Amino acid sequence: MAGPELHFITIAEASRRISQRELSPVELTETYLQRISAIDNQLMSFVTLTAELARQRARAAEAEVMRNGPRSPLHGIPYCLKDIIETAGIRTTAQSKLLADHVPTKDAVVAQKLSAAGGILLGKTATWEFAHGGPSWDTLFPPAHNPWNPDHHPAGSSSGSGAAVAAGLAPATIGSDTGGSIRGPAAACGIAGLKPTYGLVSRRGVLPNCFSHDHVGPLAWTSQDVAILLSIVAGHDPADPGSADVPAKDYTAGLDAGIAGLVVGVPWHWLEEEAPLTAETRSGFDAALAVFRDLGAEIRAVEPPPMQLFNDAKKIIAMAELYSIHENDLKTRPELFGDSLRYRIIAGGLIRADDYVQAMRVRRDLAIAMQKLFTTIDLMLLPTGEPAGKLEPVRHSSLFTGPSYTTPFNVGGNPALAVCSGFAANGMPQSLQIAGRLFDDAVVLRAGHTYETATPWRSRRPILNPQPKQAVA
Amino acid sequence: MPPTPATRDEIAVLALRAGLELGAEHFDQLVDAYGHLEQMLGRIRSARSYADEPAHVFVPTKFLPTE
Repeated sequence: MAGPELHFITIAEASRRISQRELSPVELTETYLQRISAIDNQLMSFVTLTAELARQRARAAEAEVMRNGPRSPLHGIPYCLKDIIETAGIRTTAQSKLLADHVPTKDAVVAQKLSAAGGILLGKTATWEFAHGGPSWDTLFPPAHNPWNPDHHPAGSSSGSGAAVAAGLAPATIGSDTGGSIRGPAAACGIAGLKPTYGLVSRRGVLPNCFSHDHVGPLAWTSQDVAILLSIVAGHDPADPGSADVPAKDYTAGLDAGIAGLVVGVPWHWLEEEAPLTAETRSGFDAALAVFRDLGAEIRAVEPPPMQLFNDAKKIIAMAELYSIHENDLKTRPELFGDSLRYRIIAGGLIRADDYVQAMRVRRDLAIAMQKLFTTIDLMLLPTGEPAGKLEPVRHSSLFTGPSYTTPFNVGGNPALAVCSGFAANGMPQSLQIAGRLFDDAVVLRAGHTYETATPWRSRRPILNPQPKQAVA
Repeated sequence: MPPTPATRDEIAVLALRAGLELGAEHFDQLVDAYGHLEQMLGRIRSARSYADEPAHVFVPTKFLPTE
Protein backbone atom coordinates (compact mmCIF):
# COMPACT_ATOMS: atom_id res chain seq x y z
CA MET A 1 0.00 0.00 0.00
CA ALA A 2 1.53 3.30 -1.01
CA GLY A 3 -0.03 6.70 -1.38
CA PRO A 4 -2.74 8.56 0.41
CA GLU A 5 -4.28 5.69 2.38
CA LEU A 6 -1.14 4.42 4.11
CA HIS A 7 -2.13 6.32 7.27
CA PHE A 8 -5.18 4.06 7.59
CA ILE A 9 -3.20 0.82 7.57
CA THR A 10 -3.93 -1.56 10.46
CA ILE A 11 -1.23 -2.77 12.81
CA ALA A 12 -1.73 -6.32 11.54
CA GLU A 13 -1.21 -5.31 7.93
CA ALA A 14 1.70 -2.97 8.67
CA SER A 15 3.34 -5.72 10.70
CA ARG A 16 2.94 -8.21 7.88
CA ARG A 17 4.38 -5.82 5.31
CA ILE A 18 7.29 -4.76 7.52
CA SER A 19 8.20 -8.39 8.21
CA GLN A 20 8.26 -9.01 4.46
CA ARG A 21 10.31 -5.85 3.97
CA GLU A 22 7.57 -4.37 1.78
CA LEU A 23 7.00 -1.40 4.07
CA SER A 24 9.60 0.91 5.54
CA PRO A 25 9.19 2.00 9.18
CA VAL A 26 10.77 5.29 8.14
CA GLU A 27 8.15 5.83 5.42
CA LEU A 28 5.33 4.81 7.75
CA THR A 29 6.50 7.12 10.52
CA GLU A 30 6.92 10.03 8.14
CA THR A 31 3.41 9.43 6.79
CA TYR A 32 1.93 9.88 10.26
CA LEU A 33 4.10 12.87 11.13
CA GLN A 34 3.04 14.63 7.93
CA ARG A 35 -0.62 13.83 8.52
CA ILE A 36 -0.44 15.10 12.09
CA SER A 37 1.15 18.28 10.80
CA ALA A 38 -1.55 18.65 8.14
CA ILE A 39 -4.75 18.00 10.05
CA ASP A 40 -4.27 17.82 13.82
CA ASN A 41 -4.92 21.54 14.12
CA GLN A 42 -8.57 20.53 13.55
CA LEU A 43 -8.53 17.83 16.21
CA MET A 44 -5.97 18.87 18.84
CA SER A 45 -5.42 15.21 19.60
CA PHE A 46 -1.69 15.52 20.30
CA VAL A 47 -0.43 17.70 23.14
CA THR A 48 3.26 16.80 22.66
CA LEU A 49 4.83 15.58 19.46
CA THR A 50 8.14 13.66 19.56
CA ALA A 51 8.89 13.88 15.87
CA GLU A 52 12.69 13.79 15.94
CA LEU A 53 12.76 10.94 18.43
CA ALA A 54 10.27 9.09 16.23
CA ARG A 55 12.43 9.58 13.15
CA GLN A 56 15.51 8.32 15.00
CA ARG A 57 13.69 5.26 16.26
CA ALA A 58 12.21 4.57 12.83
CA ARG A 59 15.64 4.59 11.24
CA ALA A 60 16.95 2.26 13.95
CA ALA A 61 13.94 -0.05 13.56
CA GLU A 62 14.37 -0.16 9.82
CA ALA A 63 18.02 -1.11 10.13
CA GLU A 64 17.27 -3.80 12.68
CA VAL A 65 14.40 -5.29 10.70
CA MET A 66 16.53 -5.40 7.57
CA ARG A 67 19.31 -7.07 9.54
CA ASN A 68 17.47 -9.49 11.81
CA GLY A 69 13.76 -9.29 11.02
CA PRO A 70 11.16 -7.82 13.40
CA ARG A 71 11.44 -8.53 17.10
CA SER A 72 7.67 -8.21 17.65
CA PRO A 73 4.48 -7.48 15.67
CA LEU A 74 4.88 -3.83 16.69
CA HIS A 75 8.45 -3.43 15.50
CA GLY A 76 8.71 -0.33 13.34
CA ILE A 77 5.08 0.70 13.92
CA PRO A 78 4.20 4.11 15.39
CA TYR A 79 1.97 4.61 18.41
CA CYS A 80 0.95 7.38 20.78
CA LEU A 81 0.28 7.50 24.53
CA LYS A 82 -2.35 9.23 26.63
CA ASP A 83 -0.63 12.04 28.48
CA ILE A 84 -1.03 10.45 31.90
CA ILE A 85 1.42 7.69 30.97
CA GLU A 86 4.87 8.68 32.12
CA THR A 87 7.64 8.86 29.55
CA ALA A 88 11.28 9.35 30.49
CA GLY A 89 12.55 12.72 29.34
CA ILE A 90 9.22 13.61 27.71
CA ARG A 91 6.79 15.97 29.40
CA THR A 92 3.80 14.18 30.95
CA THR A 93 1.18 16.69 32.03
CA ALA A 94 -2.15 14.93 32.63
CA GLN A 95 -3.51 18.00 30.73
CA SER A 96 -3.07 19.90 34.01
CA LYS A 97 -1.44 23.22 34.83
CA LEU A 98 -0.28 21.45 37.99
CA LEU A 99 2.10 19.31 35.90
CA ALA A 100 2.95 21.80 33.17
CA ASP A 101 6.69 21.20 33.68
CA HIS A 102 6.61 17.56 34.76
CA VAL A 103 9.28 15.56 32.94
CA PRO A 104 9.49 12.01 34.33
CA THR A 105 12.80 10.24 34.68
CA LYS A 106 11.33 6.78 34.05
CA ASP A 107 8.97 5.23 31.54
CA ALA A 108 5.74 3.69 32.76
CA VAL A 109 5.76 -0.08 32.45
CA VAL A 110 3.47 -0.01 29.41
CA ALA A 111 5.72 2.55 27.74
CA GLN A 112 8.76 0.36 28.47
CA LYS A 113 7.04 -2.64 26.93
CA LEU A 114 5.99 -0.84 23.75
CA SER A 115 9.48 0.57 23.36
CA ALA A 116 11.09 -2.82 23.95
CA ALA A 117 8.80 -4.27 21.29
CA GLY A 118 10.27 -1.81 18.79
CA GLY A 119 7.26 0.52 18.59
CA ILE A 120 7.85 4.15 17.63
CA LEU A 121 6.43 6.81 19.93
CA LEU A 122 4.91 9.70 17.97
CA GLY A 123 3.86 11.73 20.99
CA LYS A 124 1.44 12.22 23.84
CA THR A 125 -2.28 12.67 23.41
CA ALA A 126 -4.94 14.83 25.01
CA THR A 127 -6.85 13.62 28.03
CA TRP A 128 -9.34 15.06 30.45
CA GLU A 129 -7.44 16.59 33.38
CA PHE A 130 -5.98 13.70 35.40
CA ALA A 131 -8.29 11.47 33.36
CA HIS A 132 -11.29 12.76 35.30
CA GLY A 133 -12.27 16.39 34.75
CA GLY A 134 -13.54 17.50 31.35
CA PRO A 135 -14.06 18.48 28.69
CA SER A 136 -12.30 21.65 29.83
CA TRP A 137 -11.14 24.86 28.24
CA ASP A 138 -9.34 26.12 31.36
CA THR A 139 -6.71 23.36 31.58
CA LEU A 140 -3.18 23.24 30.15
CA PHE A 141 -4.42 22.33 26.66
CA PRO A 142 -7.78 22.64 24.91
CA PRO A 143 -9.95 19.53 24.52
CA ALA A 144 -9.62 17.22 21.52
CA HIS A 145 -12.23 17.09 18.76
CA ASN A 146 -13.96 14.16 17.07
CA PRO A 147 -12.60 13.27 13.60
CA TRP A 148 -16.04 12.20 12.35
CA ASN A 149 -17.21 15.75 12.94
CA PRO A 150 -14.87 18.20 14.66
CA ASP A 151 -17.87 20.04 16.11
CA HIS A 152 -18.49 16.94 18.20
CA HIS A 153 -16.54 15.65 21.21
CA PRO A 154 -14.46 12.44 21.22
CA ALA A 155 -15.64 11.59 24.76
CA GLY A 156 -13.14 11.16 27.56
CA SER A 157 -10.90 10.76 29.15
CA SER A 158 -8.64 9.11 26.54
CA SER A 159 -9.94 11.75 24.12
CA GLY A 160 -6.86 12.43 22.02
CA SER A 161 -6.01 8.73 21.80
CA GLY A 162 -9.41 7.86 20.33
CA ALA A 163 -9.36 10.81 17.94
CA ALA A 164 -5.80 10.13 16.76
CA VAL A 165 -6.44 6.49 15.85
CA ALA A 166 -9.74 7.20 14.10
CA ALA A 167 -8.20 10.06 12.10
CA GLY A 168 -5.26 7.98 10.91
CA LEU A 169 -2.70 9.92 12.95
CA ALA A 170 -1.45 6.73 14.60
CA PRO A 171 -2.50 3.08 14.35
CA ALA A 172 -2.05 2.29 18.03
CA THR A 173 -2.39 3.91 21.41
CA ILE A 174 -2.68 3.17 25.10
CA GLY A 175 -5.29 4.78 27.34
CA SER A 176 -6.69 4.31 30.80
CA ASP A 177 -10.19 3.46 31.99
CA THR A 178 -11.55 4.10 35.49
CA GLY A 179 -15.24 4.34 34.62
CA GLY A 180 -15.23 4.11 30.82
CA SER A 181 -12.32 6.26 29.66
CA ILE A 182 -11.02 3.81 27.05
CA ARG A 183 -14.40 2.54 25.87
CA GLY A 184 -16.08 5.96 25.73
CA PRO A 185 -13.55 7.53 23.33
CA ALA A 186 -13.32 4.29 21.33
CA ALA A 187 -17.11 4.40 20.94
CA ALA A 188 -17.27 8.11 20.14
CA CYS A 189 -14.52 7.78 17.54
CA GLY A 190 -15.70 4.52 15.96
CA ILE A 191 -12.70 2.38 16.89
CA ALA A 192 -11.98 -0.58 19.17
CA GLY A 193 -10.89 -0.10 22.77
CA LEU A 194 -10.41 -2.66 25.52
CA LYS A 195 -10.57 -2.21 29.25
CA PRO A 196 -8.72 -5.38 30.16
CA THR A 197 -9.41 -7.44 33.26
CA TYR A 198 -8.32 -5.50 36.36
CA GLY A 199 -4.67 -6.24 37.03
CA LEU A 200 -3.84 -7.65 33.59
CA VAL A 201 -1.85 -4.57 32.52
CA SER A 202 0.49 -2.79 34.93
CA ARG A 203 -0.54 0.66 36.10
CA ARG A 204 2.94 1.50 37.39
CA GLY A 205 4.05 4.85 36.04
CA VAL A 206 0.54 5.83 34.97
CA LEU A 207 -0.70 8.87 36.89
CA PRO A 208 -3.56 7.64 39.07
CA ASN A 209 -7.20 8.58 38.85
CA CYS A 210 -8.67 6.13 41.38
CA PHE A 211 -6.34 3.32 42.42
CA SER A 212 -9.02 0.73 43.05
CA HIS A 213 -10.70 1.10 39.64
CA ASP A 214 -7.88 2.20 37.30
CA HIS A 215 -7.23 0.01 34.27
CA VAL A 216 -4.71 0.55 31.45
CA GLY A 217 -5.45 -0.78 27.98
CA PRO A 218 -5.17 -0.47 24.21
CA LEU A 219 -7.19 1.33 21.52
CA ALA A 220 -6.83 0.67 17.79
CA TRP A 221 -8.92 0.46 14.62
CA THR A 222 -9.79 -3.24 15.00
CA SER A 223 -10.14 -5.83 17.74
CA GLN A 224 -7.32 -7.76 16.10
CA ASP A 225 -5.02 -4.76 16.50
CA VAL A 226 -6.14 -4.38 20.12
CA ALA A 227 -5.23 -8.05 20.66
CA ILE A 228 -1.76 -7.45 19.21
CA LEU A 229 -1.22 -4.54 21.58
CA LEU A 230 -2.60 -6.39 24.60
CA SER A 231 -0.20 -9.28 23.94
CA ILE A 232 2.65 -6.78 24.25
CA VAL A 233 1.54 -4.76 27.28
CA ALA A 234 -0.14 -7.43 29.46
CA GLY A 235 1.84 -9.21 32.13
CA HIS A 236 2.41 -9.50 35.85
CA ASP A 237 4.19 -6.61 37.54
CA PRO A 238 5.11 -7.44 41.14
CA ALA A 239 5.67 -3.75 41.87
CA ASP A 240 2.04 -2.90 41.05
CA PRO A 241 -0.08 -4.07 44.03
CA GLY A 242 -3.09 -4.41 41.74
CA SER A 243 -1.27 -6.56 39.20
CA ALA A 244 -2.54 -10.09 38.67
CA ASP A 245 -0.06 -12.97 38.64
CA VAL A 246 -1.33 -14.69 35.51
CA PRO A 247 0.75 -16.11 32.64
CA ALA A 248 1.42 -13.92 29.62
CA LYS A 249 -0.30 -15.10 26.46
CA ASP A 250 -0.85 -14.34 22.81
CA TYR A 251 -4.28 -12.70 22.58
CA THR A 252 -4.32 -13.00 18.79
CA ALA A 253 -4.36 -16.81 18.97
CA GLY A 254 -7.85 -18.14 18.27
CA LEU A 255 -9.28 -14.85 17.07
CA ASP A 256 -10.76 -16.62 14.03
CA ALA A 257 -12.46 -19.41 16.01
CA GLY A 258 -15.89 -17.76 15.81
CA ILE A 259 -18.56 -17.41 18.48
CA ALA A 260 -20.93 -20.28 17.70
CA GLY A 261 -22.27 -21.75 20.91
CA LEU A 262 -21.35 -18.86 23.17
CA VAL A 263 -24.05 -17.73 25.58
CA VAL A 264 -24.62 -13.98 25.53
CA GLY A 265 -26.51 -12.10 28.25
CA VAL A 266 -28.28 -8.77 27.74
CA PRO A 267 -29.13 -6.62 30.79
CA TRP A 268 -32.43 -5.40 29.41
CA HIS A 269 -33.56 -3.76 32.65
CA TRP A 270 -30.56 -1.42 32.49
CA LEU A 271 -31.30 -0.52 28.88
CA GLU A 272 -35.09 -0.26 29.09
CA GLU A 273 -35.83 0.90 32.62
CA GLU A 274 -32.82 2.38 34.42
CA ALA A 275 -31.20 4.30 31.56
CA PRO A 276 -33.36 3.83 28.47
CA LEU A 277 -31.66 3.96 25.09
CA THR A 278 -32.72 6.36 22.38
CA ALA A 279 -34.73 4.68 19.62
CA GLU A 280 -31.83 4.99 17.18
CA THR A 281 -29.32 3.41 19.56
CA ARG A 282 -31.79 0.66 20.44
CA SER A 283 -32.27 -0.09 16.77
CA GLY A 284 -28.52 -0.31 16.20
CA PHE A 285 -28.13 -2.56 19.24
CA ASP A 286 -30.92 -4.87 18.06
CA ALA A 287 -29.13 -5.18 14.71
CA ALA A 288 -25.87 -6.08 16.46
CA LEU A 289 -27.65 -8.73 18.52
CA ALA A 290 -29.07 -10.19 15.31
CA VAL A 291 -25.53 -10.51 13.94
CA PHE A 292 -24.44 -12.39 17.06
CA ARG A 293 -27.48 -14.65 16.75
CA ASP A 294 -26.72 -15.32 13.09
CA LEU A 295 -23.14 -16.19 14.02
CA GLY A 296 -24.41 -18.91 16.33
CA ALA A 297 -24.53 -17.24 19.75
CA GLU A 298 -27.40 -17.87 22.13
CA ILE A 299 -28.92 -14.61 23.41
CA ARG A 300 -30.68 -14.48 26.78
CA ALA A 301 -31.79 -11.82 29.26
CA VAL A 302 -29.77 -11.37 32.45
CA GLU A 303 -30.40 -9.26 35.50
CA PRO A 304 -27.30 -7.87 37.18
CA PRO A 305 -27.76 -5.57 40.20
CA PRO A 306 -29.02 -2.03 39.51
CA MET A 307 -26.65 0.02 37.37
CA GLN A 308 -27.17 2.95 39.74
CA LEU A 309 -25.55 1.02 42.57
CA PHE A 310 -22.43 0.31 40.50
CA ASN A 311 -22.21 4.00 39.66
CA ASP A 312 -22.78 5.19 43.23
CA ALA A 313 -20.18 2.88 44.78
CA LYS A 314 -17.56 3.69 42.16
CA LYS A 315 -18.07 7.45 42.30
CA ILE A 316 -17.90 7.63 46.10
CA ILE A 317 -14.72 5.55 46.12
CA ALA A 318 -13.26 7.62 43.30
CA MET A 319 -14.01 10.95 44.99
CA ALA A 320 -12.33 9.80 48.18
CA GLU A 321 -9.27 8.40 46.42
CA LEU A 322 -8.94 11.39 44.08
CA TYR A 323 -9.18 13.76 47.02
CA SER A 324 -6.47 11.87 48.87
CA ILE A 325 -4.22 12.18 45.80
CA HIS A 326 -4.86 15.89 45.22
CA GLU A 327 -5.49 17.16 48.76
CA ASN A 328 -2.29 19.12 49.08
CA ASP A 329 -2.76 20.91 45.77
CA LEU A 330 -6.42 21.61 46.53
CA LYS A 331 -5.37 23.32 49.73
CA THR A 332 -2.36 25.19 48.44
CA ARG A 333 -3.01 26.05 44.79
CA PRO A 334 -6.64 25.28 43.94
CA GLU A 335 -6.61 27.86 41.16
CA LEU A 336 -4.38 25.62 39.04
CA PHE A 337 -7.10 22.97 38.72
CA GLY A 338 -9.57 23.14 35.90
CA ASP A 339 -13.03 23.93 37.18
CA SER A 340 -14.36 20.52 36.19
CA LEU A 341 -11.77 18.42 38.01
CA ARG A 342 -11.87 20.60 41.14
CA TYR A 343 -15.67 20.37 41.29
CA ARG A 344 -15.62 16.59 40.85
CA ILE A 345 -13.14 15.85 43.64
CA ILE A 346 -13.43 18.58 46.24
CA ALA A 347 -16.34 16.99 48.12
CA GLY A 348 -14.20 13.89 48.51
CA GLY A 349 -12.62 15.64 51.48
CA LEU A 350 -15.94 15.45 53.30
CA ILE A 351 -16.48 11.71 52.87
CA ARG A 352 -16.34 9.94 56.21
CA ALA A 353 -14.19 6.84 56.65
CA ASP A 354 -17.27 4.70 57.31
CA ASP A 355 -18.82 5.82 54.03
CA TYR A 356 -15.67 4.92 52.09
CA VAL A 357 -15.58 1.49 53.75
CA GLN A 358 -19.28 1.03 53.08
CA ALA A 359 -18.76 1.87 49.39
CA MET A 360 -16.00 -0.75 49.34
CA ARG A 361 -18.40 -3.30 50.85
CA VAL A 362 -20.95 -2.49 48.17
CA ARG A 363 -18.23 -2.89 45.56
CA ARG A 364 -17.45 -6.34 46.92
CA ASP A 365 -21.14 -7.33 46.80
CA LEU A 366 -21.43 -6.07 43.23
CA ALA A 367 -18.26 -7.82 42.12
CA ILE A 368 -19.52 -11.10 43.59
CA ALA A 369 -22.87 -10.65 41.86
CA MET A 370 -21.18 -9.88 38.56
CA GLN A 371 -18.90 -12.94 38.70
CA LYS A 372 -21.84 -15.14 39.70
CA LEU A 373 -23.75 -13.88 36.69
CA PHE A 374 -20.82 -14.70 34.44
CA THR A 375 -20.98 -18.34 35.52
CA THR A 376 -24.21 -18.52 33.49
CA ILE A 377 -23.04 -16.65 30.37
CA ASP A 378 -19.87 -16.26 28.33
CA LEU A 379 -20.40 -12.62 27.32
CA MET A 380 -22.60 -9.67 28.13
CA LEU A 381 -23.63 -7.28 25.34
CA LEU A 382 -24.91 -3.74 25.62
CA PRO A 383 -24.30 -0.43 23.88
CA THR A 384 -21.18 1.43 25.01
CA GLY A 385 -23.21 4.63 25.13
CA GLU A 386 -25.06 7.09 22.92
CA PRO A 387 -23.21 8.61 19.92
CA ALA A 388 -21.04 11.63 20.70
CA GLY A 389 -22.77 14.98 20.89
CA LYS A 390 -21.49 18.51 20.30
CA LEU A 391 -18.23 19.56 21.94
CA GLU A 392 -19.44 22.16 24.38
CA PRO A 393 -19.21 22.79 28.12
CA VAL A 394 -21.19 20.33 30.22
CA ARG A 395 -22.40 20.65 33.78
CA HIS A 396 -19.62 19.38 36.02
CA SER A 397 -22.24 17.43 37.95
CA SER A 398 -23.05 15.37 34.85
CA LEU A 399 -20.43 12.90 36.02
CA PHE A 400 -22.53 12.26 39.13
CA THR A 401 -25.95 12.22 37.49
CA GLY A 402 -25.42 10.73 34.03
CA PRO A 403 -25.93 7.01 33.48
CA SER A 404 -22.86 4.99 32.59
CA TYR A 405 -23.12 1.64 30.84
CA THR A 406 -19.36 1.17 31.19
CA THR A 407 -18.72 1.66 34.93
CA PRO A 408 -20.18 -1.69 36.11
CA PHE A 409 -17.24 -3.49 34.50
CA ASN A 410 -14.73 -1.28 36.32
CA VAL A 411 -16.44 -2.18 39.57
CA GLY A 412 -16.43 -5.90 38.71
CA GLY A 413 -13.01 -5.80 37.08
CA ASN A 414 -14.31 -7.71 34.05
CA PRO A 415 -12.82 -7.20 30.58
CA ALA A 416 -15.00 -5.01 28.33
CA LEU A 417 -14.41 -4.09 24.70
CA ALA A 418 -16.01 -1.30 22.66
CA VAL A 419 -16.36 -1.96 18.92
CA CYS A 420 -17.94 0.14 16.20
CA SER A 421 -21.47 -1.12 15.45
CA GLY A 422 -22.66 1.31 12.79
CA PHE A 423 -23.42 4.96 12.37
CA ALA A 424 -26.24 7.24 13.49
CA ALA A 425 -28.19 9.28 10.96
CA ASN A 426 -25.91 12.25 11.67
CA GLY A 427 -22.85 10.20 10.75
CA MET A 428 -21.51 9.71 14.27
CA PRO A 429 -20.38 6.20 15.22
CA GLN A 430 -22.45 3.78 17.28
CA SER A 431 -20.72 1.28 19.54
CA LEU A 432 -21.29 -2.14 20.99
CA GLN A 433 -19.80 -3.13 24.35
CA ILE A 434 -18.74 -6.76 24.81
CA ALA A 435 -17.92 -7.79 28.38
CA GLY A 436 -16.60 -11.13 29.55
CA ARG A 437 -15.47 -13.26 32.44
CA LEU A 438 -12.41 -12.27 34.45
CA PHE A 439 -9.24 -13.01 32.45
CA ASP A 440 -11.33 -14.11 29.46
CA ASP A 441 -10.04 -11.10 27.51
CA ALA A 442 -9.22 -13.42 24.62
CA VAL A 443 -12.87 -14.49 24.30
CA VAL A 444 -14.01 -10.87 24.38
CA LEU A 445 -11.53 -9.97 21.65
CA ARG A 446 -12.56 -13.02 19.60
CA ALA A 447 -16.18 -11.88 19.77
CA GLY A 448 -15.20 -8.35 18.73
CA HIS A 449 -13.10 -9.63 15.84
CA THR A 450 -15.84 -12.00 14.69
CA TYR A 451 -18.42 -9.21 14.78
CA GLU A 452 -16.16 -6.76 12.92
CA THR A 453 -15.43 -9.36 10.25
CA ALA A 454 -19.14 -10.03 9.75
CA THR A 455 -20.12 -6.36 9.43
CA PRO A 456 -19.06 -3.57 7.04
CA TRP A 457 -18.21 -0.92 9.63
CA ARG A 458 -14.40 -1.27 9.46
CA SER A 459 -14.35 -0.11 5.84
CA ARG A 460 -15.63 3.39 6.62
CA ARG A 461 -13.22 6.12 7.70
CA PRO A 462 -13.65 9.76 8.68
CA ILE A 463 -12.86 12.28 5.97
CA LEU A 464 -10.50 15.03 7.04
CA ASN A 465 -8.75 17.37 4.66
CA PRO A 466 -6.11 19.94 5.47
CA GLN A 467 -7.70 23.32 6.04
CA PRO A 468 -6.82 25.96 3.43
CA LYS A 469 -3.82 28.02 4.43
CA GLN A 470 -4.48 31.58 5.50
CA ALA A 471 -3.50 34.06 2.82
CA VAL A 472 -0.47 36.09 3.79
CA ALA A 473 -0.72 39.80 3.01
CA MET B 1 -37.37 8.89 54.43
CA PRO B 2 -34.10 10.43 53.21
CA PRO B 3 -32.16 12.56 55.68
CA THR B 4 -32.39 16.33 55.41
CA PRO B 5 -29.68 17.70 53.10
CA ALA B 6 -26.80 19.41 54.85
CA THR B 7 -27.04 23.18 55.08
CA ARG B 8 -24.31 25.54 53.87
CA ASP B 9 -23.33 26.13 57.50
CA GLU B 10 -23.02 22.40 58.15
CA ILE B 11 -20.93 21.94 55.01
CA ALA B 12 -18.74 24.84 56.13
CA VAL B 13 -18.08 22.99 59.40
CA LEU B 14 -17.22 19.79 57.54
CA ALA B 15 -14.90 21.72 55.22
CA LEU B 16 -13.20 23.37 58.18
CA ARG B 17 -12.63 19.97 59.82
CA ALA B 18 -11.15 18.74 56.55
CA GLY B 19 -8.77 21.70 56.54
CA LEU B 20 -10.28 23.23 53.43
CA GLU B 21 -10.16 27.02 53.51
CA LEU B 22 -12.05 27.90 50.36
CA GLY B 23 -12.87 31.17 48.68
CA ALA B 24 -16.51 31.93 47.97
CA GLU B 25 -16.48 30.53 44.44
CA HIS B 26 -14.85 27.26 45.41
CA PHE B 27 -17.10 26.93 48.46
CA ASP B 28 -20.15 27.27 46.22
CA GLN B 29 -18.73 24.44 44.10
CA LEU B 30 -18.26 22.33 47.22
CA VAL B 31 -21.84 22.90 48.35
CA ASP B 32 -23.22 21.93 44.97
CA ALA B 33 -21.00 18.84 44.63
CA TYR B 34 -21.73 17.74 48.19
CA GLY B 35 -25.45 17.72 47.40
CA HIS B 36 -24.83 15.09 44.73
CA LEU B 37 -22.50 13.14 47.02
CA GLU B 38 -25.12 13.04 49.78
CA GLN B 39 -27.61 11.45 47.39
CA MET B 40 -25.11 8.76 46.42
CA LEU B 41 -24.19 8.11 50.04
CA GLY B 42 -27.86 7.78 50.94
CA ARG B 43 -28.29 5.04 48.37
CA ILE B 44 -25.41 2.85 49.59
CA ARG B 45 -25.89 3.08 53.36
CA SER B 46 -27.36 -0.05 54.93
CA ALA B 47 -26.97 -2.21 58.02
CA ARG B 48 -23.98 -4.54 57.91
CA SER B 49 -22.78 -7.45 60.01
CA TYR B 50 -19.63 -7.18 62.13
CA ALA B 51 -17.70 -9.44 59.76
CA ASP B 52 -18.71 -7.73 56.53
CA GLU B 53 -15.34 -7.00 54.92
CA PRO B 54 -14.88 -4.41 52.22
CA ALA B 55 -13.30 -5.03 48.81
CA HIS B 56 -9.86 -3.84 49.81
CA VAL B 57 -8.75 -6.50 52.26
CA PHE B 58 -4.99 -6.56 52.79
CA VAL B 59 -2.99 -9.17 50.84
CA PRO B 60 0.52 -9.06 52.34
CA THR B 61 2.17 -10.97 49.50
CA LYS B 62 1.34 -8.04 47.24
CA PHE B 63 3.95 -6.02 49.09
CA LEU B 64 7.00 -8.24 48.95
CA PRO B 65 10.18 -6.41 47.88
CA THR B 66 10.57 -6.36 44.11
CA GLU B 67 13.99 -4.77 43.63
